[in-house]
Amino acid sequence: MNAVELERISKTFKSVKAVDDLSLSVPEGSIYGFIGPNGSGKTTTLRMIMRIYYPDLGSGAIRILGRDHSAAANDRIGYLPEERGLYRKMKVRDLLKFFLELHGHRRNLSEPIQSWLARLRLSDWADKKVETLSKGMSQRIQFIAAVVHSPKLLILDEPFSGLDPVSTEDLREAILDLRRGGATILFSTHDMHMAEKMCDYVLMIYQGRKVLDGTLESIQARYGADTLRVAVEGNGQGLTSLPGVERVADFGRLAELKMSDGADPQRVLEALIGRGRVTHFEVTRPTLHDIFVRIARPKE
Amino acid sequence: MTRKTIVIAVREYQAAIRTKTFLVSLILMPVFMGGSIGVQVLLRDKVDTTDKRIALVDMTGRLATAVLADAERRNATDIFQGDGTARKQMQPRFVFEAAALPGETTPEALQALTLELSDRVRKRELFAFAIIPADAISRASASAAAPATTPSADVAYHSNSPTYDDVRRWLTGVLTKHTHEARLSDANVDTKLVMNALSPLRVDNLGLVSREATGEIKAAEKTNELATFFIPFGLLMLMFMVVMISAQPLLQSVLEEKMQRIAEVLVACASPFELMMGKLLGTAGVSLTIVCVYLLGGLFAMERLGVAGLFPKHLIGWFILYQCLAVLMFGSMFSAVGAAVNDLKEAQNLVTPLMLVVVVPLFIWFNVVKEPNASFSVIASFFPFATPMLMIVRMAVPPGVPAWQPAVGALSVLATTVACVFAAGRVFRIGILMQGKAPKLRELIGWMLRG
Repeated sequence: MNAVELERISKTFKSVKAVDDLSLSVPEGSIYGFIGPNGSGKTTTLRMIMRIYYPDLGSGAIRILGRDHSAAANDRIGYLPEERGLYRKMKVRDLLKFFLELHGHRRNLSEPIQSWLARLRLSDWADKKVETLSKGMSQRIQFIAAVVHSPKLLILDEPFSGLDPVSTEDLREAILDLRRGGATILFSTHDMHMAEKMCDYVLMIYQGRKVLDGTLESIQARYGADTLRVAVEGNGQGLTSLPGVERVADFGRLAELKMSDGADPQRVLEALIGRGRVTHFEVTRPTLHDIFVRIARPKE
Repeated sequence: MTRKTIVIAVREYQAAIRTKTFLVSLILMPVFMGGSIGVQVLLRDKVDTTDKRIALVDMTGRLATAVLADAERRNATDIFQGDGTARKQMQPRFVFEAAALPGETTPEALQALTLELSDRVRKRELFAFAIIPADAISRASASAAAPATTPSADVAYHSNSPTYDDVRRWLTGVLTKHTHEARLSDANVDTKLVMNALSPLRVDNLGLVSREATGEIKAAEKTNELATFFIPFGLLMLMFMVVMISAQPLLQSVLEEKMQRIAEVLVACASPFELMMGKLLGTAGVSLTIVCVYLLGGLFAMERLGVAGLFPKHLIGWFILYQCLAVLMFGSMFSAVGAAVNDLKEAQNLVTPLMLVVVVPLFIWFNVVKEPNASFSVIASFFPFATPMLMIVRMAVPPGVPAWQPAVGALSVLATTVACVFAAGRVFRIGILMQGKAPKLRELIGWMLRG
């Protein structure tokens, strides 16, 4: 069963089509990554799932947790928007209690609040006002506000943006725990590395349209083993002029070479050896980052 | 009403009443509103008691002596309050000096004297001077003979302080009295007899006589003119203050949620309509708190002053109903403005016409109190944005209004409130997540109509 189903959904703002005929299915219990350049329609799609925006009249259907969009109960969804804010004058505990009540909880409010605060090492701040918290702490509190009611579906818009490595790890572990508890996670990110490591499925949206959708393996399989990862002693200049190499991404110690269709890795290796001592040579599939750049980079 | 609406309303109420701004507004608003009256009362006795020297040129030769005698009498008694050691001068003394033309009465001589006295006023030797023409006493018959001509002033009063009118008014009364006496005397009429005959009558202001349940006829009660004026005014100002303290801050509250990016989290948990209704109900709760504080405070003060009987207990129910509707109606508009704009500066452009609607009753309340059942008052009190304040004003003036009018007024305000909340809900839903350029009035109307 799918936790989220979008069927041919469009959203237009004045003359701009933010989302164009988008369909997707998020299997229950999965972690589903939403990637795409800025302004591609990720946030608009998430807001439509949250019923903050309504799709264009006449566009398709949205089903959430097995129910029609209009009847979807947001109380079973947790949402962390990209642009975050909290009532600065409220105490942390009161704020979380407010969100719990807003999601329909009436009894045993203290237990989940205490548990989440302890888990994200914020227990000492429970009775402090939000305005006294650091930015990182506020972001963690915002995350707790999204998950404190134990949602079945968790929608996170750029959850790791602006977090330090320790907070990122805390959040990543919490998300994985929620998935282990049966929740479905749908999150958007610009961090391709994180998406590769965490997501069971990845969807890429570009200019409002879906351009990739599936497991990481299936997406990479579509591109085949067309990438060479090489290290050559010296400055590595002139790699673009190698035979059969279409594009070079130089990371310093390593370089990734995108081969043109039908190019022979063996001939590239021969040409490389002629230019210096080759210390690393690997034929591999493109990374998600590389696929992202290939799709989203403006055509020259 | 959903549970989410109640949760939001409770948070909104607690957030509002726990702020220092609320407490300060609660105290300062009546201080500011009543301040101007209080200051005037306090300063009433703080008058300049320096002597006012006035020169009197009496060309009739018959009035100056009487005026000077009256001034002496006034200076000796009328300007003091209290007795014994508590006796205190409350007004300045009017010290008159008689001035006369040095020689023949010619226009040139009179002009020279007027100039000389004017110079003395400029040098502050005199406060003012007055010239009584020679024909001042006989002038009445001349005016009666030629009624078509515009009569010129009988006495010329000159001063350098046009806004200080006490001397001129006192002099007018005294000169009128002595001129009447002189004219009656010239006509060989018994002055005392006529003055007695012309003494004014006192007309009492009474209510209506009614028959009680026992069949007994109840005598009319004397109208308390102070109460019939101040009670409606007090209720009007109370409702205005409550709207300003509770509904107007909704704009800032919504704007704050928008600017601090709280709105998106909230509309993910509750629909924009639930969110706005929650905020409105919380605000209505705040307004009820304010009303309770002020009404109880007013009752306590009136009891201390021994006028608790004047407290309009029969109007409290209507007042609370109208006040809640007013807060919901104006609150929905303020919250829509808060949702539509991006900062307080942008809000000012939209708030100005809204504030004009709120203050309309303050411009016309006096006419309504004077004639609460005149066509103008009735029509004005059925204009829904003015109904809450003006209907209460009309009801507070005895004998009140026909019973159907407050009920119909409340229904029309309720209908307007529902329409306002509905339209504001649409603006709120579209505007709350919108960033960038503020919408123009035309766009706002489009949001309201099309959603």
